[in-house]
Amino acid sequence: MDTPLDLLKLNLDEKVFVKLRGAREMTGVLQAFDSHCNIVLSNATETIYELVDGELKSSTKGSEMVFVRGDSVTLITTPSD
Amino acid sequence: MSSSGESTTTASAQFLSNIIGQSVVVKLHNGMLYQGVLESIDGFMNIALNQATEHYETASNGLLHRYDGDVFVRGTQVLYISEA
Repeated sequence: MDTPLDLLKLNLDEKVFVKLRGAREMTGVLQAFDSHCNIVLSNATETIYELVDGELKSSTKGSEMVFVRGDSVTLITTPSD
Repeated sequence: MSSSGESTTTASAQFLSNIIGQSVVVKLHNGMLYQGVLESIDGFMNIALNQATEHYETASNGLLHRYDGDVFVRGTQVLYISEA
C-alpha cells in the first residue's frame, strides 16, 4: 500500500506547486523531501499574497535553490498551468 | 478501560482504511477545505487526494481551485477528514 509520502516520490525531479502557511506559495523542481516535509526546490519562485488597502497584491521572489522547512508546508501538488 | 480504548483505536483506523477510494472532504487548520477522491492516508494523517477541489470553510462556498494532479496534504495541518 502506497502512503501519501510514497506518492510524493513520483514528483521528484518534476515541477511542483507548494502551498505554505501565511498565504505563500512556492513553485520549483522537487529535488528532495523527507517525512517532515522538509523540501528542497531548485529554480524556485515564491509568491506572496497580501491585502493592501483591501486589494489583493502578489509579489514574487526567485531563488536558484531553496530548503523549505516542513512545518510551514500545507500542500504539495503538480502546478496546474 | 483498556479494551474500550483499543476498540476506539481500531474503529478510527478502520474508518480511515474504509474510506480509501471514496470521495472525501478534508479541512485544514487555516480553514481551507479540499474535496476529492482519497488516494491514500498514513498514520500521520498525511493525505493524498485525486481530482481535488479547493474551497474555503464549506464546499458550498465558491470553487477556489481545481487540481488536476494528485494533491499531497501534510498531516499536521489536517483538522478533519470525512466522507463527502
